Amino acid sequence: MSIGERFPKSDGVVKADGSGLYTDDIAFPRMLHAKILRSPHAHARIRSIDLSAAEAYPGVVATLVGSELPAKYGVIPWTQDETALAVEKVRHVGDAVACVAALDEQAADEALRLIRVDYEVLPSVLTPEDALAHPEIKVNEKAKVGNITKHVHLQFGEVDEAVAGAAAVARETYHYAGSTHVPIEPHCAVARMDADGNLTVWSSTQIPHYVQRELSRVLGLPQSRVRVIQPLLGGAFGGKSDPFALEFCVAKLAIKTGRPVKILYTREEVFYAHRGRHPMKMDVTLALDRDGRIAAVDNRILIDGGAYASFGLVTAYYAGQLLTGPYRFGTYRFDSYRMYTNKPPCGPKRGHGSVQPRFAFEVALDEAAAMLGIDPMEVRRRNFIGEFVETVNGQKITSNGFLKCLELVEEASGWKERHGGKLGRGRGLGVAGSMYISGTAYPVYPNEMPQSGVLVKLDRSGRVAIFSGASDIGQGVNTLLCQIAAEEMHCDPREVTVVAADTDLTPVDLGAYSSRVTYMVGLAAREACQKLAAKLQAAGGATFAEACQRAEAAEGAPLAATGGYRTQKLGGDYRGGTIGASPAYSFTAHVAEVSVDEETGIWKVEKIWAAHDCGKALNPTLVEGQIEGSVYMGAAEAQMEEMVYDEKGLLFGPSLLDYRIPTSLDTPELDSFIVESIDPGGPYGAKEAGEGPLHPAIPAIANAIHDACGIRIRELPFYPHRILKLLRERDARGARGKERAAS
Amino acid sequence: MRLSALIRLNVNGEDHALAVPAQRTLLEALRYELGLIGSKQGCDKGDCGACTVLARPRGAAGRGEAILSCITLAHDAQELAITTIEGLAGPQGLDPVQRAFADCGALQCGFCQPGMMLSARALLDRNPKPTLPQIKEALSGNLCRCTGYTKIYEAVQVAAGLRSPAQRAPVRSERAEASDSVAQPVKEFAP
Amino acid sequence: MMTLPDLNVLRPASVAEAVEALRAHPGARVLAGGTDIVPNLKYGMYDTQHLVALRGLSGELRYVRESAGPGDLLLGAMCTVDELARSEVVKARLPALADACGQIAGPQLRRMGTLGGNLCLDTRCVYINQTHFWRNALGYCLKKDGTVCHVVAGGKRCVAAASNDTAPVLLALGASVKTVSPRGSRELPLREFYVSDGIHNTVLAPDELLTEVRVPAAAASRRQAFAKLRTRAAIDFPALNLAVALDLDGKVVRSVSLAVSALAARPALIKGLEDLHGRTADALFADELGRRAHKQCKPLTNIGIDPEWRRELLPVLVRRTVLRAIG
Repeated sequence: MSIGERFPKSDGVVKADGSGLYTDDIAFPRMLHAKILRSPHAHARIRSIDLSAAEAYPGVVATLVGSELPAKYGVIPWTQDETALAVEKVRHVGDAVACVAALDEQAADEALRLIRVDYEVLPSVLTPEDALAHPEIKVNEKAKVGNITKHVHLQFGEVDEAVAGAAAVARETYHYAGSTHVPIEPHCAVARMDADGNLTVWSSTQIPHYVQRELSRVLGLPQSRVRVIQPLLGGAFGGKSDPFALEFCVAKLAIKTGRPVKILYTREEVFYAHRGRHPMKMDVTLALDRDGRIAAVDNRILIDGGAYASFGLVTAYYAGQLLTGPYRFGTYRFDSYRMYTNKPPCGPKRGHGSVQPRFAFEVALDEAAAMLGIDPMEVRRRNFIGEFVETVNGQKITSNGFLKCLELVEEASGWKERHGGKLGRGRGLGVAGSMYISGTAYPVYPNEMPQSGVLVKLDRSGRVAIFSGASDIGQGVNTLLCQIAAEEMHCDPREVTVVAADTDLTPVDLGAYSSRVTYMVGLAAREACQKLAAKLQAAGGATFAEACQRAEAAEGAPLAATGGYRTQKLGGDYRGGTIGASPAYSFTAHVAEVSVDEETGIWKVEKIWAAHDCGKALNPTLVEGQIEGSVYMGAAEAQMEEMVYDEKGLLFGPSLLDYRIPTSLDTPELDSFIVESIDPGGPYGAKEAGEGPLHPAIPAIANAIHDACGIRIRELPFYPHRILKLLRERDARGARGKERAAS
Repeated sequence: MRLSALIRLNVNGEDHALAVPAQRTLLEALRYELGLIGSKQGCDKGDCGACTVLARPRGAAGRGEAILSCITLAHDAQELAITTIEGLAGPQGLDPVQRAFADCGALQCGFCQPGMMLSARALLDRNPKPTLPQIKEALSGNLCRCTGYTKIYEAVQVAAGLRSPAQRAPVRSERAEASDSVAQPVKEFAP
Repeated sequence: MMTLPDLNVLRPASVAEAVEALRAHPGARVLAGGTDIVPNLKYGMYDTQHLVALRGLSGELRYVRESAGPGDLLLGAMCTVDELARSEVVKARLPALADACGQIAGPQLRRMGTLGGNLCLDTRCVYINQTHFWRNALGYCLKKDGTVCHVVAGGKRCVAAASNDTAPVLLALGASVKTVSPRGSRELPLREFYVSDGIHNTVLAPDELLTEVRVPAAAASRRQAFAKLRTRAAIDFPALNLAVALDLDGKVVRSVSLAVSALAARPALIKGLEDLHGRTADALFADELGRRAHKQCKPLTNIGIDPEWRRELLPVLVRRTVLRAIG
């Protein structure tokens, strides 16, 4: 079973029989359990920390404070503004302050209560507006100006002129509440230092390579002495693509005590670690000419970043850079501020930085089209950007199956017969489209080395071993490697061992983020396998095993080959032009069907049809899984996800009972379609499928609500009380209209 | 050393004697005392279902009903016969539920799935040919963040012999021109 | 993950032993199904180290039977809510109770949770049902360790919400409960069982155990319906719940009871409905009940779902539920 076939996942059995090891399943003799003490204040100076009572508590073996790990880290080299434990200051409720390692978890928890921290509470800023208005309340010293993590202003063409001359202009403000990843597996890390000074850290991380680099720097150990292993991982979605406090704490404590140390975050701590979707306030202007073509787009975005930068530099760019397809724009401008605030830090969540602006854009497009009486499907077709074209901001779009996506969801949903108020009051259809990157040209830290490397080894028995640094976070990259091997070398994909994400053993892969893995690791794996295939071909043999033996005999050495993916030079020739530039883009279209109870505001997504152009489905089952999971996550954000804080920066409800994700009974029927545009650059034509399919869900739902009952909702989540309020306003407008007509 | 008492647990058909404090939960006893790491900690307070195990009174027939081990005290599990995910497979290999989950793509990250598979197993034990609403209801206490539940339902239906796995083929999109190049000129480049 | 403190769990084998254990350990709490108390203990919401586990009382207290004579339905406090939801007798005679039990929490929790546990469910509030760390960061509250109510400015009485689903139904059906203590046993109507105090919203003494629920035989002939409003269709506690029971003579209302909960600490029986006796059971009647409920019920910010919206919804829910009951 090779490329394009529904090969069952290579790790299916160990996940099905319960034998697969996730990080918390790993234990060692004499292992200590550590717990982190966190700040109850949103912003405070630490005057002193008294550990004496904790250190004396029965079962406690060691403690740790920030001054023992003062080196700053952060996933983006230009904004390294975090320390493992607070040094001098805490910047959000839940910020890590001290750590205790004990013989068991209960003792560690009890000892934490005995730590006395003397805080000097400082004024805090909890909204990006306040952060802008009060530069004197400095959340994070990394900010050069006030509390600004990053300001981006980019303009392409004469936007104001185009808007002034336009036939229809939609100009509104949109609000996107913050949401978080909620992987079912909380963060966990285990560290062990051997007597020769080699440190090993097992961690539930998407970025083993970056964690290795940061551990090395912060601990002052040569990188060659630090080994990071990613075991099976229970969901990430971008929430595990930063280095985290627990990784540094277990490492340092393992060094201090000479014993293995484990930290497993409680569910509450996962909320404080956060790195979720940034709240955004977006002032969007979208102008159409009288034929419904997009004349101009102007977006001013205020982004709430939380206390640390994380990927925030990139967010400030993505908020604007990723909107320039699948439709063509004549002119474009965006201005984004990413602000520091005294709350848990935001970061990359599936569809990083572009889900929020895409929501605003797709609703604005519908609205402007409606002003001209143009059907939402039609306006999207009319603005199709094409294939092998450059966007207004210098991104090269290669393959583009967006029209086919629209066609499929239009057909499957019965759009023509059912949209436009035809389903009766309280029921409607909505459409939305989107585009997303398949990895970026930007390797996070500048270097000339490949972003991905794969090593393939053949054994005389016919067993193939693939060494890949890529993080399989459940999306199935390890399975794809087996299929690529089978495709190129004609081996049995079930006789492939994948050794993954172990920095001692596997080549570097930068990590599972920005949907880079299928594209980049796929190309690297194909390259390696093709080299070996040539040798096997030359050697000949009746079976694969025989070919391996003959080729090894010919080689006079074990048969192995490597492949790599080198970052291409991509993107517009301006500052920030590489951010958002991708070797290939995926495209998605959704139609959502909703029903709205106008008496209560309670609404329901009945069904979502989603078509996604992934270039080539290397494994259709896995691609469908990504589409369905993405659509689910988008619908969830529209329905019920929000991080809400009180006036002191305390997060309401850091639990899975309070922060709700949909159960089976809350999830709409999902009908997914795979479109293949066969990208010339991607491995076998493949592009991403892990994040793109999320984007249209939210605007499709908003547009469907409009079809159902004539209201435009511009604020997430679409709580029933907001819907009801808009319905009342609609009725009041209607009543006033009738009055005027009558008088 | 914490004050502990000796308890006897029956797990996957085997009796175990362990010394645990009164506050030890069944989940902790399974994972840390018995090394049965298949049951997972997702929230540790009964909100997510990742710790689901099957339980029945000792001596009762069948595998039992789905309960949450993270909020069950280990001492209170003494009168029960417990089945964990490790106890589902037999000498013939994987249970049909496990096989179907693996084959249908219901396992992405896999973390919620031991609990999910056990809830599904309990459903099929009690109701061998469930309707889709019955499947959804039976799994409504197991949160999944990866799959959107779609392939999970499919796997349960496949395990119940109600259908075979989905086989919808991808659709090819042909080379598509831009809608027009007059109004909004865009640079083209060779593929 | 979240550790429990050292516990001393007593395991009586009979009701008498259980009551004695409660008496001997002031402050001890009851552990029935554990679905509420264990999470709350992990949150550090109770100071006691002593639990009196009732699992050994299943033989004595897990039954659905009919009383001699009047034919009242007697439900043992250790019945799980799942078995009540599935019981043919309960479904036939008290369909609203079966319905309510079937909507409690999620499937696993229903198999663990008991009737007694649900009736005695601790009240809930966004400011109390969190970890010790969180409550400390908040500055605590009236219910535990603090002096301030974060729901009612200047409030001196705790208004944490009654969050049980069986209570409104059993109130509307005129149920009574039997309890046992060192002073003997007593039976009292459920409407006298709850009090308006979020810290402890029942009249149960610390050494008193709820053992049985009695539902009058007449309840079986009443038209009845239950409704639960919540964000998700599973797992969640109620954002609002209500139950209505009517005696109809043809289309004429002989009597009506309406109970609404998830407001403050006390499930509310809507008052002053006697003047509606003799009315026709129709949409206007249902509307009127909705109006009266709206007037008497004031949702609060205690459970984190917009209280004004819930207040607007109440008459709509009442109306729809009454129409459902009428059939």
